[in-house]
Amino acid sequence: MAQAIIEITNVHKRFGHVEALKGVDLTVMEGEVIVIIGPSGSGKSTLLRCINRLEEYEKGSIVVDGIPLDTNQNINAVRREVGMVFQSFNLFAHLTVMQNLMLAQTTVRKRTKEEAEKVSRELLVKVGIPEKAESYPSQLSGGQQQRVAIARALAMNPRVMLFDEPTSALDPEMIKEVLDVMASLAKEGMTMLVVSHEMGFARAAAHRVIFMDEGQIVEEAPPELFFASPTQERTQLFLSKILHL
Amino acid sequence: MEQQEKNAPNRELSFVTGGEVNIRQDPWWWLVVTVIAIIILLVMIAPFPFKDIVVFARDGVLVTILVTISSYFLMLILGLFGGLGRLSKNKLVFGISSLYVEIIRGIPLLVQLIAWYFASPVVIQKIGVWLNFAPLMYYRANPIITAIVAITVCYGAYMSEIVRSGIQSIPKGQMEAARSLGMSHFQAMRYVVLPQAFRVILPPMGNEFIALLKDSSLVSVVAVADITRKGREFMSAHFNPIETWLMVALLYLVLTLVAARVVSYIEKRSKRGS
Repeated sequence: MAQAIIEITNVHKRFGHVEALKGVDLTVMEGEVIVIIGPSGSGKSTLLRCINRLEEYEKGSIVVDGIPLDTNQNINAVRREVGMVFQSFNLFAHLTVMQNLMLAQTTVRKRTKEEAEKVSRELLVKVGIPEKAESYPSQLSGGQQQRVAIARALAMNPRVMLFDEPTSALDPEMIKEVLDVMASLAKEGMTMLVVSHEMGFARAAAHRVIFMDEGQIVEEAPPELFFASPTQERTQLFLSKILHL
Repeated sequence: MEQQEKNAPNRELSFVTGGEVNIRQDPWWWLVVTVIAIIILLVMIAPFPFKDIVVFARDGVLVTILVTISSYFLMLILGLFGGLGRLSKNKLVFGISSLYVEIIRGIPLLVQLIAWYFASPVVIQKIGVWLNFAPLMYYRANPIITAIVAITVCYGAYMSEIVRSGIQSIPKGQMEAARSLGMSHFQAMRYVVLPQAFRVILPPMGNEFIALLKDSSLVSVVAVADITRKGREFMSAHFNPIETWLMVALLYLVLTLVAARVVSYIEKRSKRGS
């Protein structure tokens, strides 16, 4: 955990009149796992989407792995290094699981079909569904689809993985299978930014928990400290609402 | 591997002998058979004028098919670019394609055909005189090419809107996922969005083909010897409007009914994958 891999400096972003991000600073070290929590509309997904430039930002700078997000060329270079997992999976509906995993490998990484297929098969074993290689996304459960989506992102050998509420669209009994995959990824030393309200995952896997509200980072701390003794009033209020059980 | 090799020729065969399979799967083929049977019956019962009409209009059928198929494929290409243009962030591209769609949709195809045939050659000749360039000065419109251009331009505008709505029906997340994997906008369109949009627009594309086939009869006013024009020529020579237009209608019906069956077959096949 020596080197900074993502450096976010004073990033501002607005949607029309709404200020989604009001000057966010964040440095992510290599191998670090960060869980971002906060009420809806607090800007946590927007921050994540700024890192691979799915959203443009007006002010500030983001540097990923030494590459500043400015030119189109650099944006594509960053996207190759940053994998993203979405709330709604976003698997390519017209392609089989295997084709979903292979497409970007052959078109972006310029791997041969054989290489790409080998990588894909290994990753499907890793996420626990090698038998679904020839299925279409519509034939899979939500949990299986999300695991395929994780495998698809990993197939590009990213240095950073972004998870945008990866379990929010899942039925309760499928959340664990996805979190297990994420936890094992964290254990392998993958740098991860996770927007999620899975507190169990935050406690077990995160190095840092960040609380965002109204476009700003309000509080950040290691999970044991964060949950035991939050210092900010807004954090305490939010935690008291979501930890009601 | 071995199994694939064994299966492949069989699949090929069942495709070739599709005619019979289709009749069993798709009873509407019987309607096609019935119409063809009526034509044959009429020709046998009353060779004059029915056989004469069919023989006289034979070339017209080929012209109708030629005009329909060539303008259909050209207008698909034009519609693809028009539809992409309508979604472009580039204001100039968006403006040009929107203007094209709005203006062309507002003018009847018949008027467009006549304008292309009678007005555009004069314009080209005048430009030729102005440039003092002989090939343009003595330009004369080729009826079939002019007709294909006119239909392509007109139907391309409708197709642009079909393509645009098809692309817009694909969830935004598909594009985002592709871009997040490092694919360029072009690659994401080519491999992810357009193949899915294609399935959505297949039914309206089929409708367009049948509509275009029927509208191709309008080219008869600009000296293209299609089925309709052949019918008019036969009627003026022999004065039997009832038989002539009955036969012309039946010939069109065979073409449109066959086209409708092919369209429905393609739609069924495309659904199989999903």
